[in-house]
Amino acid sequence: MPDIPMVNFEHVSMEYKKGGRLALEDINFRADPGEFVFLLGHSGAGKSTLLKLILREILPTEGKVYVNGNDMAALRRRKIPYIRRQMGIIFQDFRLIPSMTVYENVAFAMHVTNIAKKEIDERVPYMLELVHLADKAKCYPDYLSGGEQQRVAVARALVHAPKLVIADEPTGNIDPELSLEMMELLEQVSKTGITVLVVTHEHELVHRFHQRVVTLNHGRIVSDVPAAREEALL
Amino acid sequence: MKLSTFGFLTGRGLRNLGTHWAMTIACVASLAVCMSLNTLASLVEVNVDSMVGYLGRQNETVVFLDPACDDATAAAVGEQISAISGVSGVTYMSKQDVLNTYESYMEEYAALWDEFENDNPFKANYRVTVSNLSQLSSISAQMETIPGVVKVTAPVEMGSIFVQIQQGVTRMGRAFVLVLMVVSVITVGSTIRLSVFARRREIEIMKYVGATNWLVTLPFLVEGLAMGLISGVLSASSVLALYNYAVQAAGGLSGIWQILMGTSLVPLEAVWSTVAFYSVAGGTLVGGLGSLFSIRKHLNV
Repeated sequence: MPDIPMVNFEHVSMEYKKGGRLALEDINFRADPGEFVFLLGHSGAGKSTLLKLILREILPTEGKVYVNGNDMAALRRRKIPYIRRQMGIIFQDFRLIPSMTVYENVAFAMHVTNIAKKEIDERVPYMLELVHLADKAKCYPDYLSGGEQQRVAVARALVHAPKLVIADEPTGNIDPELSLEMMELLEQVSKTGITVLVVTHEHELVHRFHQRVVTLNHGRIVSDVPAAREEALL
Repeated sequence: MKLSTFGFLTGRGLRNLGTHWAMTIACVASLAVCMSLNTLASLVEVNVDSMVGYLGRQNETVVFLDPACDDATAAAVGEQISAISGVSGVTYMSKQDVLNTYESYMEEYAALWDEFENDNPFKANYRVTVSNLSQLSSISAQMETIPGVVKVTAPVEMGSIFVQIQQGVTRMGRAFVLVLMVVSVITVGSTIRLSVFARRREIEIMKYVGATNWLVTLPFLVEGLAMGLISGVLSASSVLALYNYAVQAAGGLSGIWQILMGTSLVPLEAVWSTVAFYSVAGGTLVGGLGSLFSIRKHLNV
């Protein structure tokens, strides 16, 4: 097992000041490089809070969060962007910029992270080819189907070769067939050594894949089924 | 920052002007109106100041010479008056010149006129104007000490009133400009904030993919500066066109209005470069600052 986990939560609790709600309680969780993990849970289980902690949008009230060995609480504010550049994020609502073409949306992630144009010109067409959208490069997001938009979001998340991909309910706005396709793509991504965290509430989808499943309920991890055991159960 | 990144983000900021054209028009219009009001207020202040100054300068100070003065002494007095700092004009009036000014009034008193012509009772004098009315009192005192001067009649009280009016107008004008500037910044800030708020998702995405605050800010800053620049140019052009029209219209006035406005309005040539510079520089600055302040709170993602 590698020494440095990609994501590591040590006794993490998170209580929101507003309403004093305990969103996470004593969470211990690690995801290693190249691991594929489903974070399963109903609405209000604490999935979003967990993601916000990884993204360093918020800090835990107790415990430590490490991403690729970096203590997120000790991280200076100006260093946050550099940690985020190691991550690729896929949102349920895609979050594409409607005034940009598919190509520009994907290239945007590289442009704003100060990557040389030559590299952008090489990487973006390759990524679009990978998600089968090369012929839609000049289209605007509003003219694409939900599945196509999601694939643009995947291309954008992967284009800068992240070490960690976080997918927040990535199948929420696409049909079941495309959902399977999407998960297969992310599985392939994890096989290249990239850690993939998929946050979802869709039990059926999760059980179709033989990957590790961490289930959250009321802010606590209630089960952590490793990939092999999940496979055995099926 | 790589040059290509800078180019991309700058280009993005400029492209946003067209993409979000409705917001651009709203921002440019509000900023241009505010800048124009500021410039107009400043021009009014400058011109009222000029008018009051002009009126004040029409009140001449009369320096009476000793009747025993010969021509050489009178000329020496004139030179000494001219040498006093703040004196803008010196005109010599001989005894005969003074008498001649009364000729038209004395048509019905021919006998008296004949007597005056034989024995002129008036004193030769210098008509002195000063460039700054607030110095009138001290200049008068200096002139009184010049050998050969017997009396100085200066409209000190009148001068003091004009100085007070001038100062009052300046203070009011500056206060008005200050209030307008605050209103401008608030108005423009609100409009730009609205524009930034409408694109908070774009900012959010930039932050999630790992853009630094500076990289996120750059396109918005470019956009703000460009809007400010356009507003400044629009404001300067419209104000100068309006001012040119006012100056030309004032030239066609008659009577007291001609004296007040036709003579004392500051000519366009004297103000256009200042107006253009401050409008463009001010507009660009307010646009840039407005963007910076508006985006700040959206950077905490």
